[in-house]
Parts: sequence; structure tokens; C-alpha cells
Amino acid sequence: MKNIRLIAVVLVTFFGLVSFTNQGPSTKYKCMIQLTNYTGEGAYVAISLINPAGDYEQTLFVQGDDNEWYNTLESWWKFYGKKRNNIDAITGATISGGERSINVIEIEDSKIDAGYSIRFETAVEDHEYYTQDVEFPLTSETVKGKMEGTGFIRYVRMMPN
Amino acid sequence: MTISIWRYSHLALAVSSVVFILLASITGAILAFQPISEQMAPYKVADLDEVSLAKTVEVFKETYPEVIEIKVDANHFVMASVFTEEGENLEGYFNPISAEFLGQKSEPSKFFQWVTNFHRSLFLKSVGRFFVGLCSFLLFVIAITGTILIVKRQRGIQQFFAKIVNENFSQYWHVVLGRLSLIPIIIITLTGVYLSLEKFNLLPESKEQHKIDFEMISETPKRDVSEFELFQNTPLSEVETLEFPFSDDVEDYFTLKLKQEELVVNQYTGEVLSSLKAPVVEVVSNFSMVLHTGKGNTVWAFILGLASINILFFIYSGFDMTLKRRASGLKNEYRREECQYIILVGSENGSTMQFANAFYKQLLEAGEKVFITELNNYTQFPKAKHLIVFTATYGQGEAPTNANKFLDRLQSTKQPNPCRYAVVGFGSLAYPDFCQFAFDVDKAMELDFEKMLEPTSIHDKSIEAFHQFVSLWSSKIGVTMELPQEALVQNKKQTKTFNVVGKTEVAESPDNTFLLKLKPKRTQQFTSGDLLAIYPKNDYRERLYSIGKVDGNIQLSIKFYEHGLGSNYLNDLVVGDKFKAKIIKNTSFHFPVKAPKVILIANGTGVAPFLGMLHQNKKHRETKLYLGLRTHASFNLYKPEIEALLIEKKLNDFELVLSREAEQCYVQDKLDDNASEIAQTLYSGGVIMICGSLAMQKGVLGVLESICVEFTHKTLSFYQAQGQLKMDCY
Repeated sequence: MKNIRLIAVVLVTFFGLVSFTNQGPSTKYKCMIQLTNYTGEGAYVAISLINPAGDYEQTLFVQGDDNEWYNTLESWWKFYGKKRNNIDAITGATISGGERSINVIEIEDSKIDAGYSIRFETAVEDHEYYTQDVEFPLTSETVKGKMEGTGFIRYVRMMPN
Repeated sequence: MTISIWRYSHLALAVSSVVFILLASITGAILAFQPISEQMAPYKVADLDEVSLAKTVEVFKETYPEVIEIKVDANHFVMASVFTEEGENLEGYFNPISAEFLGQKSEPSKFFQWVTNFHRSLFLKSVGRFFVGLCSFLLFVIAITGTILIVKRQRGIQQFFAKIVNENFSQYWHVVLGRLSLIPIIIITLTGVYLSLEKFNLLPESKEQHKIDFEMISETPKRDVSEFELFQNTPLSEVETLEFPFSDDVEDYFTLKLKQEELVVNQYTGEVLSSLKAPVVEVVSNFSMVLHTGKGNTVWAFILGLASINILFFIYSGFDMTLKRRASGLKNEYRREECQYIILVGSENGSTMQFANAFYKQLLEAGEKVFITELNNYTQFPKAKHLIVFTATYGQGEAPTNANKFLDRLQSTKQPNPCRYAVVGFGSLAYPDFCQFAFDVDKAMELDFEKMLEPTSIHDKSIEAFHQFVSLWSSKIGVTMELPQEALVQNKKQTKTFNVVGKTEVAESPDNTFLLKLKPKRTQQFTSGDLLAIYPKNDYRERLYSIGKVDGNIQLSIKFYEHGLGSNYLNDLVVGDKFKAKIIKNTSFHFPVKAPKVILIANGTGVAPFLGMLHQNKKHRETKLYLGLRTHASFNLYKPEIEALLIEKKLNDFELVLSREAEQCYVQDKLDDNASEIAQTLYSGGVIMICGSLAMQKGVLGVLESICVEFTHKTLSFYQAQGQLKMDCY
């Protein structure tokens, strides 16, 4: 009995630890966002991982100087704004019309070819907001490809690093 | 004539936009410190003119597996975004020679960000932006109308920067600082307007794009990036950004953005695939941004900051002037039709109004029916018997704004009753056309009315002279008028204590003249040519004496008159006494800082400030003194001092002119003898200073005028406008 108790304690501790280090193997991708030649302030961009059910699962990257304006990315803000995890490590500066930015994003390998999508949503102060400026399913093909945008983004290019 | 339109628009625009301008200039002054603080960051490691782009690209490529972009900011700091060996993105400041990482990109401080936001939109987003842009434009118009006002005031563009007489703190500094900060303010406002227009997409958009023929792109001949000629010939200082190709694909390329041009470069061959001139709109935007913010240039940022602070001062001084002008508005107790006494006022900035108002009140208290109005409102006054005109003169002997129609109206309007009149002119002797308009009015009125008094001219708002007029006038009319007192005392007296440290005896001088040496009890700043104001009866009556600074003490030369208020008071002092007086700065009569030669002309006690100036002439500027006195014996009072000055070479040449002995002539006669020397002095930029009696001044100016015209073909007022003629006469 004593042993069973001990084993139980050990198991609980073990699973507890395992459940907190929850990530499987992942790959880093180089991701370029090229904006259209619009005029106006810099664009705020959020890159999110969308699960097969179409809901937000994880924030991959945020481009925005001032978190005061994050709420203009309305849809993403509903997901992120409640918890406001620390995303300092995955934020970059805003870029303006005609400019491009290249960032590194990290995606778990298990999410590729598994019905997950990647979504780029954009907003510019006093201008439009595009929930799905670019959105495409994550497959081993698309992560090496180029996707045209529908809003402030002209195109997005990705490449495993 | 049109000055009022400009002034009204200047004021109306200022009033309508004051709140926004106030907020924008306070925040603007704060923001001037942003570029200054940025420049202090330690990221400027090399002279970017010396470093070629090829060299920097090479070293970056060697150091990091992947480079995304290299940027050069306005402060000439080099920024880059690279991937490290670990696959992490590293962004920030780098050393362009060693590719060493220097530091994270500093987030613009929250405080400056907040202020910037406030500055351009007052936290009202688009609406705020619109108003800030509009007010920027209004401020531009205010600056333009202000310039026109200065041109009018200075009588011409050529004299835009000529000296202004300091009559009133707000007015003087409003004009002086206005002239200095005009250019920065115009730049700030225009660039501000431009930046706002940009935000509202009101500028033409450039649609041009690179046209690259991807069919023709070739990977050969392959060359190392460090061998690209374009990169070798481009110093980093000309670069804005260099974007590296996204992948090894030949269709990915370098994009090099220079200040004026954007180039697309084949990543293998270094061939320029396409180039676009930067659109004018963008170049102007960048330039506006730099001019408006002072980015990258500490000196300009500092100037912008000063200009913003100046705007704050303009708001204060402008409203101060307006309120004073308003305070001196006119109110009547009786209607025009029932008054016997009509006071007509011509005033440019309200100070004449104060005198007229005081006169009006006193006459009312004497029980008379008085009507007061501006000269331009001249019309029929059915019961008028007395017309009293108080007027200033504006510009070159012209009428003040509210009197510019008077002379016409005078001709076309006839009074039903015969009237007697008197004219009082206000002005400053420092201007050549002293009280000219008052004299013109007097001449015009002579034709219709009976002149009661010769026109009175009042220098520098002298309360004393005004009282003389009031008592003369009232005794002629037979009314008893209380002298208006406190109403006119302009500055509350701020007297200081002075000790008498030396005094000569009146009895020893044949001209009843004595020297008085005073020492301020507490240290005070003053210099020769300033004035000492004393109050013999401790009331409104003020006497002014020109100061000579000798060994740090005040030296006065005073002529004693048996019934003289001031001279009696001073003569009663003995060494060791203390009394109260006030030093008045008189910058228009200071010894010139720069001048090849200075000619000093004085008669009698007028020599006092000059003695001080010569004592202070430690730089041994070339000087000549003409001194007019009565007799040799009169000279004894000054002889030791002048001889010492000659020996010390602080005075180079001295001419004593005696009116009762020897040649028996006046200073002006001596000037005529030395005409060519005087002309030479003026011509070469020298300065002539005159101090003494008004009679002497009149004579001297006559001689100088003819010398100028004859020898230099310019008028004396030309030289006066350049500050080459300085006067202080009484």
C-alpha cells in the first residue's frame, strides 16, 4: 500500500510537470509580409494559429508599436484581450504602406497538415480593418509558398528556416 | 492706411485659434527635447561618409547567417535586422564596421509618445488632427500678417531689422522676438500643414512601381556582394534602407532605398534591375518631417524649441497689448449734442488714450460737459466751444489708425459755433518725425478755429509736460482742474537706496554746475547713458539725469537753478547722505559695442554720460569729444578727468568750444569746420552721440544733415536708422 501511495505521488508530480511543458517539436519559419502602397499610418498586424474548428488557438506574432491600438484588431483582441499573455518576445514594429517586414514565427510540427490555418489580420488607424487579410491552411506546401492578400497586405511569403 | 485690417486680422486669427496654438506650442517645446535626447544615445560609432555600403554588407554577411535589412536613421545610427546562428531574430543598433550588436532599438519613451500624440491630435483622432492642421495654417497667416505689421511699423522692408524704441515691454518684445523667430515659425507652420494634409490623403499619390523583366534575370556573371559597384560607390550616409533578398531565388533581389532614389539590384550579378526616383511628395514629406521635428539635428531642434517658447510669449504679450488697448477705450457721460468741450483722440496703442481719459475725467469733475471721441469720429458738435486734440504720430509722420480720416473730415465738416482749440502731441524724440501729425493737425485746424495755445509736444509720456499743458490750458479757460496724478503713473516706483560719495560745490563753478558721485547701496547693473530718476517731492514728479559710470559709481553733472526742483534737491545732499532713486535702462544711448570710431558731442552738463563712457572705453576704441561750454573757467570742473582720459588714450581727440570767450562759437560751428572727418566717420560705420540741450541738438542735427547730404549723398535719418546716431537731449 505504501508503494502504491508513493507511486501515485510520483505519477501525479510527473504528469503535472509534463502537462506544463506541453509543446511537441516545432519549426521556425521566416515570414515576409509585403504591404500595398496605401497612405496613412503604419499597419497593425496579428498572425494567429486557427484550429480546425475555426477558433483562435495561439498568437504567433504581432506587429504593432503601441499596444494601445491592439484593440483595433477586433476579432483577435476578443481572443487575446481577455488573458493578455506576455507576447513581448513575438512582437515587432509597425510598418507603413509599401514596406515589408520579415519575422521569425514558430509553429509546432503537429499543426501542419492537420486542418489548422494561419490568419493575418490587419488594421490601420482611421482606416479599414481586415479580419482575414490573408488566411490559408497550414500544409507542408503552403509553408513554402506565397499568398496574395486582400487588404493592406499585398502578399505573404513563408519559408522554413 | 490699411494697417488696421492687418492688425484686426492678426488679432482675430490669434483669438480664434489661441487654445490650439497654446497647447501645440507647449507640447512642441517639450518635443524639441526628443531629438536632442536621441542624439545623446551612444550609437554613433563611425563617420558614415567614410564607410561604403559594400563593406558593411560584407561584414554583416560574414557575421550573421541571414541579414534581412540594414537601415540608417536620421541620427546616423545604423540599425539592422538579422538572424543569429540560433535562428533568433536580432533587431537593433549595430556597428557598421564590425557588425557588432550595440543595443536594442530604444522604444520611443512613453512620455514623448504621449506628448506627440497630444501635439498632433489632442487625443481627438481625426477631428483633433484637422484642428491642429488648421491652426497650424492660421498661425502661418498670423506670422504673415505680423510681418506686414512690422514692415509698416518699420517704414519699409529695408529697415525690417532696424532698431525699435522700447516704449512698452510687451510691444517691444513682441516685435523684437517676432522678427527673430519669424523664419522658424513659418517653417514650423508650413511643414505642419503639409504633414496634416498628408494624413488626410490630400496629396497626390504616386502609383509608380518597379517594372522588372523577370524573363531576363540571370544568375551570371556571379559576383560577390562586396564587389557590386553600386554598393562600393555608395557611402552609408546616403542610404536609408537596404532590404536583403527574401530567399536565394534569383527573382528575389536587393532593394536599396537612397534619399532620392529606390533601386532594385540583382542579388547575384549586382545589376540594377530597376530604379525609381523618389516621388516629390515623399521627398517633401521626409524633408517636412525633419524640419518640423528637428530629427537628427540638435541645433535645429533647439531653435524649434525656442520658437515654440516664443509663441507662448507672443500669446501673452499680444493679449497684454490688446487688453491695455481695450482698457483705454472711451466712455461718455453726456451726449455729443450737449457738450461744450470736445476731446479728440488719436492713439495707436492706447497710451495716448490714458492721458486723454485722465484729462476728460478732470474736466468732468470740474463740472463741465465734456465729450470724448476718436479723431476719426469728428463730426458736428452743436454746442462745442473748445476742441482739444490729443494725438500720437505713427510711422513717418502719419496719422494713427483711428485718426487717419480726420484731416478730410475736418475740411468737409463745419462747426456751427466758433471754437477755440489746442493740440497736444505725444511721441518720442528718438524718432525723427516727433509729433509730426500733431503739428499737421494744428496747421489744418488753424484755418477754421481760434488757436488757444501753440501745439504742445510731449516726449516719452512725460507726466510733467502734460501737467504743464493742463495748467496752462485751464488757466486760460478759467477752469480749475485738479492735476490728474496716480492715474498716469505708469510704473509703480521701484526705487533703491543710493549713498552720496562725492560732491563738488556749486559756488566754485562759474556756471552753477556741480558733480555728484553716488554709490548704489546694493549692487545694481547699470552703465553710462542710463538714466537716474529722482523724486524730489516723493510724488509723481520725476527728474531724469544721464548717468556716467566712473569707477563703478554713478557720476552726475547737474546745473543748479535757484528754483529748480531736481537741482535743489540734489544740491542739498552732502557726502554720506542716503536717498531713494531709480535707475532706468536707456539702451538706445549706450556706447556702441562695435564701431570703428565714435564722435561724442555735448554741451554743458551733457558731458556727464560721455565721461563715464570714456572711462569705460577699456578697448581703446577711437573717440573724439566735442564739448561746448561758456568759459575757460567752466572747463575747470571737467579738466582733470578729461586730461587723464587723454593720457590713458581712452579719448583720442578733444575739442573745447567756448561760446563766451576765445572764438565765441557753438559746437555745431566746429562740426562744420570738420565736416569731412564727420562724413568719413559716418561713411565708415562710426557712431555719433549727442547729449545736452535741445537747442544744441537742433543746431547739431541741422549741420549733420547738410554734411551727410553733401558728402555721403544719404540723409541723416539713413544713418540714424542704422543706429549710427544716438541722442539724449533735454
